[in-house]
Amino acid sequence: MSLPLAGHAAEGTRIQVTGEIIDTWCYYSGVMGSPDAVVGSAHHTCALWCSAGGIPVGLLAEDGTVYMVLKVGEDDQTAGGDTALKLAAHTVEADGMLYERDGLNYLVVSDVVSDLDITNQNHDDYGNVPPFSIPKSARPQGD
Amino acid sequence: MLKQLTAALALMASPLVAQDFSEGSEARSWNLYAEVPAKFEATVVDLLCTFTGDCPADCGAGKRQLGLLRTADDTLILPMKNSQPAFTGAAVELQPFCNQTITVDGLMIDDPELGANNVYLVQTIVPPGSGDKIKANKWTKNWAAEHPEAKGKGPWFRRDPGVKAIIAEEGYLGLGLEVDGAWIAENF
Repeated sequence: MSLPLAGHAAEGTRIQVTGEIIDTWCYYSGVMGSPDAVVGSAHHTCALWCSAGGIPVGLLAEDGTVYMVLKVGEDDQTAGGDTALKLAAHTVEADGMLYERDGLNYLVVSDVVSDLDITNQNHDDYGNVPPFSIPKSARPQGD
Repeated sequence: MLKQLTAALALMASPLVAQDFSEGSEARSWNLYAEVPAKFEATVVDLLCTFTGDCPADCGAGKRQLGLLRTADDTLILPMKNSQPAFTGAAVELQPFCNQTITVDGLMIDDPELGANNVYLVQTIVPPGSGDKIKANKWTKNWAAEHPEAKGKGPWFRRDPGVKAIIAEEGYLGLGLEVDGAWIAENF
């Protein structure tokens, strides 16, 4: 078991922000399509995969700002942890500390004030993204 | 003399020219619209430690998000992705080098309009004191070791217990099984 080391804290700003917990790799890389297609219900399953896979989760605020989430409450396991996984694609109201560094916003969420579930129901616009996120075995004709 | 002095002063006053980290990179293209090859030396840091002072000695055992503090310009890079095309992150690949200085090669994703600044896909790592690069592709092997109960055919993300439990409860769209069933019946 590792012992904690003393570190130097950076100066942060306390903020309250509302937004969707997103898969930041698909959002930034464009690998699965446009930013509007890789959020919400259309991308829910892929967001689960990426969160479980340890890709950083972000909070996409209503003004388009992305906050990289480093901790949620007492859970610091944002590289594949359960708390972040359960929030995939959900819209949340978060209270936490913001740290800005080299063009990115890092957010340490002290409290999820409310979990509004999935509010961006965009699957009728974009389908399921990527198309293989719903396996053939789950479709009427099956495999 | 005055001309030379003026030129020297102008050079000192001008902003530093951005360094080209693509030189020497052997990164493989992923055909991403904003990818830029980048090879650089950096120290692996625990991001929560950097910002909050909460610093476990093992940088969080691969469960915390890590950063790459680039030696050349002190820029903090966020490694989001390892080299596997399998929805897999970079923390597991970098954690063995916690607080060590390594050389990484991979792809920077550069789209400031979208907010993608200093985010990175790691393809290879050269450990300190070594000339041999290793591939950043250990994630799926680690996952298999952590989830022996999920052994089976198909990719890990179809078998992950946590993912399967949520889909079983909320459906693929995350809106409940009723919505899921109706939408799938209508669209497939």
